[in-house]
Amino acid sequence: MSGTMCSSNSVVQTQKLVDQLRLEASMERIRISLTAADLIQYCKDHRRSDPLLTGIAASSNPFKDKKTCTLL
Amino acid sequence: MRSPPIPEMATQEVQLSETLAHLKTESDTLKGKLEEERAKLHDVELHQVAEKVEGLGQFVMKTRRTLKGHGNKVLCMDWCKDKRRIVSSSQDGKVIVWDAFTTNKEHAVTMPCTWVMACAYAPSGCAVACGGLDNKCSVYPLSLDKNENLAAKKKSVAMHTNYLSACSFTNSDMQILTSSGDGTCALWDVESGQLLQSFHGHAADVLCLDLAPSETGNTFVSGGCDKKANVWDMRSGQCIQSFETHESDINNSSEADREVAIYSKESIIFGVSSVDFSLSGRLLFGGYNDYTINVWDVLKGTRVSILFGHENRVSTLRVSPDGTAFCTGSWDHTLRTWA
Repeated sequence: MSGTMCSSNSVVQTQKLVDQLRLEASMERIRISLTAADLIQYCKDHRRSDPLLTGIAASSNPFKDKKTCTLL
Repeated sequence: MRSPPIPEMATQEVQLSETLAHLKTESDTLKGKLEEERAKLHDVELHQVAEKVEGLGQFVMKTRRTLKGHGNKVLCMDWCKDKRRIVSSSQDGKVIVWDAFTTNKEHAVTMPCTWVMACAYAPSGCAVACGGLDNKCSVYPLSLDKNENLAAKKKSVAMHTNYLSACSFTNSDMQILTSSGDGTCALWDVESGQLLQSFHGHAADVLCLDLAPSETGNTFVSGGCDKKANVWDMRSGQCIQSFETHESDINNSSEADREVAIYSKESIIFGVSSVDFSLSGRLLFGGYNDYTINVWDVLKGTRVSILFGHENRVSTLRVSPDGTAFCTGSWDHTLRTWA
């Protein structure tokens, strides 16, 4: 009796796996040469809005210490 | 000694075994097909295509603030959208909200459990979510009144059957996405605590998740102990894509609009515990078990900088919402902001 239970559970699990694999196999895929070009373009397009790349003046970056003036 | 099976049951068993055998053959064929397809598409490496891209200059980044106050390992942190406040959670059971500019603690909550592995700031900045060994994700509205007991307003939202490993609000304060040691991810309605969608597919503990950045984004990626990174459709609960890696566990995942990138360098012996991209996606910051932070050029696949400061494993790392700095949490009980 328990033998049948185990088998039917395995069947259910394997069926799920096959369904998932079928789904993935049917997905449209693009070559890396194309997606890589996309990625590079994305980085270029957003370069200016990336403060860690372009750097901001210490005075406008709240995390960087401001230089203080001392009056002699 | 098993008694001989009844004839009908014997036939049933045989049928099931046959079905199982068919399914196994089909799954093997499909797996083989997928591998073939993937190999065909891998016509070139990213860094080869990126050869002509301008290299990055020198990087001078250092610790700008050290947040001290946790009594034990910092396990998780998140930035508030105001780019200034941070929530962090620790093994000591405490969740603290900090002003990262002044290093002042604004709120502190003691959770009923230790190992608070996940915490997240609500998009409005008015609440935080956290959870861990209590198997739940709870939301605490933040009060302007410093004397108010935050624990009194606590709302239990998510319930898993094992530890909570990560949580994140979606585009609003109304929904939370969670991942758990029970192998599932789930989407919850904060107000009612109702389960909106569950995501099954990981074969072991799910350790991390990250939402796709777009406003209309309906996908997220999760990584787990089964060495898989799965991309999910939030509305249907379907796993759209699955990546398998050769690294032992996926402790952290980060989505940069089109790709899930996992980097490793042969000379690095210690594992990465947390990663995040800079705003343009060009830089990848990794917090490591050897106490350092490595900064990578995503396109060229080279390391541009290595940062020292923490005195123990870096457990969590996030870039600030405006990209001006990033924050790390460590087993050395502190958090540091770097710029």
